[in-house]
Amino acid sequence: MSASTESGLPAGKTWKSKEEFLGCVILTDWILLVILFAVLLGSFHIHYMLLAGDWDFWIDFKDRRMWPTVTPIVAMCFAAASQSFFWTRFRLPIGATTVVLALLIGEWINRYDNFWGWTFFPINLVFPSALIPMGFWLDIVLMISGSWLVTALLGGLGWGLLFYPINWPVLAQYHQATEIDGVLLTLADLIGFNYVRTGTPEYIRMVERGTLRTFGKDVVPVAAFFSGFISMLVYFLWWNVGKWFSTTKYLEIEEV
Amino acid sequence: MKSLNLQSMAKCATARVVRLWILGLAVAGALTTLPAATPAAAHGERSQQAFLRMRTLNWYDVKWSKTELNVNDEMELTGKVHVFSGWPQAVARPGESFLNVGEPGPVLIRKSAFVGEVPVPRTFSMDVGKDYEYKIVLKARRQGRYHVHVQINVKDGGPIVGPGQWITIKGDMKDFTNPVTLLEGSTIDLETYGITWTYIYHFFWMAAAAAWILYWFMTKGIIVRYWQVKAGKGRELIGQSEKRIGAITLAAVLLAVLVFYAAANREFPRTLPMQAGLLTGISPIDEPRSTVAVQFKGGSYTVPGRELRIRAKVTNNGKEPIRLGEFTAAGLRFLNPEVFTTRPDFPDYLLADRGLSVSDPNPIAPGETRDLEVIVQDARFDIERLSDLAYDTDSQFGGLLFFFSPSGERQRAEIGGPVIPKFQAGATL
Repeated sequence: MSASTESGLPAGKTWKSKEEFLGCVILTDWILLVILFAVLLGSFHIHYMLLAGDWDFWIDFKDRRMWPTVTPIVAMCFAAASQSFFWTRFRLPIGATTVVLALLIGEWINRYDNFWGWTFFPINLVFPSALIPMGFWLDIVLMISGSWLVTALLGGLGWGLLFYPINWPVLAQYHQATEIDGVLLTLADLIGFNYVRTGTPEYIRMVERGTLRTFGKDVVPVAAFFSGFISMLVYFLWWNVGKWFSTTKYLEIEEV
Repeated sequence: MKSLNLQSMAKCATARVVRLWILGLAVAGALTTLPAATPAAAHGERSQQAFLRMRTLNWYDVKWSKTELNVNDEMELTGKVHVFSGWPQAVARPGESFLNVGEPGPVLIRKSAFVGEVPVPRTFSMDVGKDYEYKIVLKARRQGRYHVHVQINVKDGGPIVGPGQWITIKGDMKDFTNPVTLLEGSTIDLETYGITWTYIYHFFWMAAAAAWILYWFMTKGIIVRYWQVKAGKGRELIGQSEKRIGAITLAAVLLAVLVFYAAANREFPRTLPMQAGLLTGISPIDEPRSTVAVQFKGGSYTVPGRELRIRAKVTNNGKEPIRLGEFTAAGLRFLNPEVFTTRPDFPDYLLADRGLSVSDPNPIAPGETRDLEVIVQDARFDIERLSDLAYDTDSQFGGLLFFFSPSGERQRAEIGGPVIPKFQAGATL
């Protein structure tokens, strides 16, 4: 890592040498990075599990309508807030990528340890949604445009549109057709049927429920555009939430 | 006022502190992930309210074809269920139901499920007052000893758990296979299908994200950037060269997305959307109408004595004399030892083989109507928490009575209604 005094701040008298000062800065940077990553991982994970929940837990919930609509919208909250923090305070174009990587690491620990390790659900039933290319998109749009407005409009729309194509390379194999006792199923349906979930009956899946039928089988683009549109609005709101919390004033120690 | 700032934090960042941090994180990680969890031995069936278990689904003729299996062996869980006519108002009716298995994780997988002759991998509809026959084919997956229940989940009503049996599975889960033939003809092992590729795809993107984050972190870190932004030099941090790097990265990311997407479409040209929807029109059991009519005339429950007394008017419209042999509710079976001379094969914790008696043990002759007092008394009533009926908001019991003729013919009659609790032995109503 290159750290220097180019910011203009003198090393001061607290440190014995410039090298010691730089060493302290680098060390503090690493501590901050680890703490930030852990905090984002924990908080985003809770948020995402509460709001995306079953849509992200199970392969037989990952449909063409509800999953690509709900998941990007709820994921946008922390991405926007994190961008607000990393960009306005540090000019770091890593806000969205960092939170989605943190989320994915947390989810994989959860799916592997809990879902597979403790309750023996196979990974092909419980793998999480892929989000990382969406994080790249949002970060780089912000970096190139330098504008949160442009990022909200263009980044938010792309965030929703990219979700399904990003996940399709893994999902496609589970949408091959099979039959069981004369009933047509995809492999995703069959995995959900085979591997018993006592508390997750089939009827709580929301597979393409709704009234929007005008576009025939082309369900995904409609869902993706809608998701992108709502993601724009969510971005505006959560950018400001991030800004609100991007302060050390909550850590101030007052002598009372 | 004293404030915490980054400079003072930097002063604290000694190598010792970092070592302590790493040690702390490692301990926390180990504590949260390494200890083995004890397998669940029950599924909360006793915690469901008594009136709900007695007056929704009455399970009978439940059979487990095997209680000991090797990994990859199959067994059948079969039986019948009566949808109680006096379905409680507090529970949604079973218009959308799902035939399920109560077990601690998928230790047995469900290969197929039928209600009547109809396969039910999806949600189906049942009618109140009818009886349905079900069959679930299970395949042993994980070694161990597990309590396996039949269960029907009712939308907006929750899971309604039937009787459970201990099943022992021998062998090793690593030998388990789940072969499935696709419509295009090839056979795959669904247990492991696609998992390696899923790992590769996800970890590829996670590695790319980590590289992106570390690249920007390693160039100027966090604190120096903060100072520069604070000094009004934020624009200098993202110049044309940085934007060029960003644009190239974005182009590479989008290209990779496109390539992966196209490759998936090329490899799997025929895919279907997931299948869902309600299965309706499933026929109930086609049986002759019962020749026994039972009219509930009142009842009481003595809490300390674990004794349910039911007064009923019984009319025998059949051609043979009949005797009351069994009362079943919430999966428990209370048998009249004068009728059941041998103990049926059923889980002991649910079978009270001397738990039923009647005020008049003589057979009811054809055409005769008789007032009977049915006495249900056994510790299992309390152990399975059916005595909590006295504390439910809807203190009505429900269940099935089974009458038997000398020729072995069985007649079924539903019974249910309000019971008055007696909290002290000897108290009168």
